Amino acid sequence: MGPRKYLASYGETLSFRRKLLLVFALTVFFTVAAVSLIVSALARRAFQKADEERAAALVSQFRNEFNRRGADVTKRIDAIATSDSVARMALSVSNGAPDYGAYLNEAKTIADAQQLDFLEFTDSEGSIISSAQSPARFGYKEPAIAGLSPATGLFLKKEELADGIAIGMFATKAVRIGDKPLYVIGGRRLDPSFVASLELPAGMRVLLYQNVESAFSAKALSASSGALLEPEKLAPLIERAQRTGQETSEILHWTIDSADDEKLLAIPLKGLANEPLGVLLVGSSRRTYVDLARRIRSAALLVGGAGIIVSILLSGWIASRVTRPVEQLAAAARQVTEGKWNAQVDSKSSDELGELASAFNRMTRELVEQKEQLVQTERVAAWRELARRLAHELKNPLFPLQITVENLLRARQQSPELFEEIFRESSATLLAEISNLKSIISRFSEFSKMPQPQFQPVQLNDSVRAVTRLFQAQFDNREKGTIECCIQLDDHLPTVPADPDLIHRAISNLVLNAMDAMPNGGDLTLRTSHDANAACVEVVDTGTGLTPEECARLFTPYYTSKQHGTGLGLAIVQSVINDHGGKITAESEPGRGTTFRIRLPLKHEAPPAPIQTSGMFKQIS
Amino acid sequence: MKRIAFLFLAVSSLCLNADAATRPHYGRTLRVSLLARPTSLEPIQSLAPTAPQLAELIFDTLVSLDQQARPQPQLAISWSAEGGNRRWQINLRPGVMFHDGSPLTPEVVASSLRAANPSWQVSANGDSVQIVTDAPNDTLPAELSLVRNAIVRRDSSGKILGTGPFRVNDFLPGRKLTLAANDDYWNARPFLDSIEIEFGISPRDQLIALELGKADLIEIAPEQIRRSTADGRRVVVSRPIDLFALVFTRDRQSAEEGRLRDALSYSLDRASMRSALLQGEGDVAAAILPLWISGYEFLFPAKQDLARAQQIKSGLKQSSPWSLGYNANDPVARLMADRIVLNAHDAGLAVQVTPNQQTDLRLVRIPLVSLDVRLALRGVALAADIPAPAPGGTTLDQNYQVERSLMDSQRITPLLHLPRAQGIGVTVRNWQRTPDDSWDLESIWLATEKP
Repeated sequence: MGPRKYLASYGETLSFRRKLLLVFALTVFFTVAAVSLIVSALARRAFQKADEERAAALVSQFRNEFNRRGADVTKRIDAIATSDSVARMALSVSNGAPDYGAYLNEAKTIADAQQLDFLEFTDSEGSIISSAQSPARFGYKEPAIAGLSPATGLFLKKEELADGIAIGMFATKAVRIGDKPLYVIGGRRLDPSFVASLELPAGMRVLLYQNVESAFSAKALSASSGALLEPEKLAPLIERAQRTGQETSEILHWTIDSADDEKLLAIPLKGLANEPLGVLLVGSSRRTYVDLARRIRSAALLVGGAGIIVSILLSGWIASRVTRPVEQLAAAARQVTEGKWNAQVDSKSSDELGELASAFNRMTRELVEQKEQLVQTERVAAWRELARRLAHELKNPLFPLQITVENLLRARQQSPELFEEIFRESSATLLAEISNLKSIISRFSEFSKMPQPQFQPVQLNDSVRAVTRLFQAQFDNREKGTIECCIQLDDHLPTVPADPDLIHRAISNLVLNAMDAMPNGGDLTLRTSHDANAACVEVVDTGTGLTPEECARLFTPYYTSKQHGTGLGLAIVQSVINDHGGKITAESEPGRGTTFRIRLPLKHEAPPAPIQTSGMFKQIS
Repeated sequence: MKRIAFLFLAVSSLCLNADAATRPHYGRTLRVSLLARPTSLEPIQSLAPTAPQLAELIFDTLVSLDQQARPQPQLAISWSAEGGNRRWQINLRPGVMFHDGSPLTPEVVASSLRAANPSWQVSANGDSVQIVTDAPNDTLPAELSLVRNAIVRRDSSGKILGTGPFRVNDFLPGRKLTLAANDDYWNARPFLDSIEIEFGISPRDQLIALELGKADLIEIAPEQIRRSTADGRRVVVSRPIDLFALVFTRDRQSAEEGRLRDALSYSLDRASMRSALLQGEGDVAAAILPLWISGYEFLFPAKQDLARAQQIKSGLKQSSPWSLGYNANDPVARLMADRIVLNAHDAGLAVQVTPNQQTDLRLVRIPLVSLDVRLALRGVALAADIPAPAPGGTTLDQNYQVERSLMDSQRITPLLHLPRAQGIGVTVRNWQRTPDDSWDLESIWLATEKP
């Protein structure tokens, strides 16, 4: 069974109240959920915007700090350029080839004093006169000089040191004493210690990635604070910033806990010739935002959950209020189907359900009245039929009685000598007809005195065997052909609660009926079977069969298709089966015989109370 | 007349005062500061490699070399060779006493020489010592002048004794050594009463101590000579006798690698290293030995030829960068190493400076062990851990061939010849400059007043 079919069948089995409750509950649930979601989404969006503004403020704060460091570098370079020692060096450069040995440690000494990581002095050609970061580079060209202009302010530069490549934040100043200028180029190294020294607001950190290798290398990454557990997660962001050369941001999920998420802004670092030097990553923790969003979500869930529970309880109460009249109507309708025709419901309300209840009450009242009228009509018809049958039955013996008595009177008057003989013959005739009249009266009397069954466990197989034994002689000794009786019994047939005598009588009547239907002999089959609820006895003959019209009136009392029948045999059978809570049906076709099927319940149930009718007929099931 | 007489008296008194200032004074203590930290007074294992000048104060050798590297008598008064220079007879100086008063005997001398030279057969022979070598050895008298062949005796407690001008008064390994004058020294008592030597003193602290008058003798690094002189200090500078060189730690594995080594040698700008890093001190080294010792150094090229270096490198592929190690305690060594890396880079060679011990290249400072060319070359080979050259002859051409073979091995690339320099206190008098920069402290005295 597919889910849709299952839901459809489940829906069919649900009561109206439950359906209504379900509809109410689902409506409330989805409404509350939708409201909660919308409120949560709106709140989340608002906080997200606030978080973005906070992140932007933090980045701005970082830029200010970064620029402040740059301004500090520029200030220190300016101070160096105006110092006496640099003036002397500039004078020496202006006078000719400088003595590298004399200035070998000059840059280092000044850089240490000015707390600079990088400091170089170069002549106008870019030849290094003294270098703090690489003292052995004297005489070599400083490539940055070629890209410098008077307007060059703070710039970034890659510096090849003995222990690797470093990125620095540089400023430059030209010292002009004489014809040839002396350039002062100095700065601070952008390294973990620089990043760590930045005064950052809470919840913010800075990471520096230096372009040491062509592919991403975790070793080239350093953070301002804390250990970097999974640096490879930053690789896509760094590579994107390197590829596009533009600032780019992304939210990184460090752990499954979204509170550990971090919004990172990747700022590509470029040199004088726009060459990529590295990427600066400014990260702001989303913990504050996530914690706030979580509190909002918790509150929404709490309020929504409470609302749903309250609304479900309210829905249940409303559903019970709404469905109670409908349930009363349904119960009354069930009573009507069970025969309680005068069932009534409460119809106090003035709404549609009240009108429906009033209509139902009116309908049942009319049903009872019509039924009483119908019973009255049927009763009159029955009395007429009874009168006709009695007249017919009594008329037949009365006519010979009248003839016989008239013969006796005529013989007394006309042939006294023959009177004695005629008297004897007439007396015999009179007695025979009177006996016939008594027999007719006896059968009518017997039908009216049908006893109530005395229930006890009865094995229907035994009843069938008893009936066949009883009639076995009659099956064999018939004038116009014998009847072949076949018994097919269910070996596992359970006992049924029944009156054995009445059951025996019912089966006997069916067998007699079958024998009458097969005047020229035939096959008679008695069969037993059972299912979960009932035991079954079938009596099958191969007689003349019945037309549909005859079948329809088969169990009507005093109806018979036989020439000398009273029409009470099958009526008695039906009465017995009804008294046992069972059911009898007939299937027949003209020329193909008839099958009577009796179903008796395996458990005794009190027969439905008959409709309050008067007269001699019981309810036909 | 009176006026003339007064002037005469004044000039005479000035002359007398000057004479008193230059006259030797016995007594006082010389304070010395050294960077080295010798942990033992063993001349072979500790003093020779760390502070050879101290060994000469405590111990004597049998022979010394003069300025022409000719052997001169010390504890030995004469020597003679037999059997084609395989068997040598050394006659000892009589009356020489060890610091504990025990006499110098041929047995003690033989025992000391055997300990220093296991391959020699040394035996006492009357008042002399006989040395038999495996092969003819005409440099044996010069070898006997090496510090490692100083005559040492151990007393019953294991204490090391020498016959030098000073005896050990107190020794704190790695920290301080106090020497006292050997009153019974065979070559006359030193003027100084004692010498206090402090070890492990940084160059900066040495300079401060000299400035404050807390030290009378300090070491001055070559790159500091210029500044110290400019600052008005008394600085004595030797001839360039130490070798700054690049040493490959293994033989070349292929002809291609040999050409790469050639490229490296051509790429080196030794002149800039000298002028800037050493502040103009020392000499550019074209060969292992300086010209003033060998006489043929000019035959080796030393000028940077970057074009040729690039040309050699252009057709070759360097399998991996060469790692270059250096002495982290030597400040100039780091600069030299960085400059070598830059020069090599210009030629297309990759060299990486590393503090690790296991490297392809080492930048080393090798002291001259002897004024004898053959011994000096052998000493350099020994210090550089490269195979010793085959002994040559005595002629200039033979010495050149020996050095040429060492250079052709491409295990060593000379860079600079460095002088040694000392800062001397103002009260130190009669400082004698020796050709091998040994300290002749037994000849100096300390003035009582500053000049």
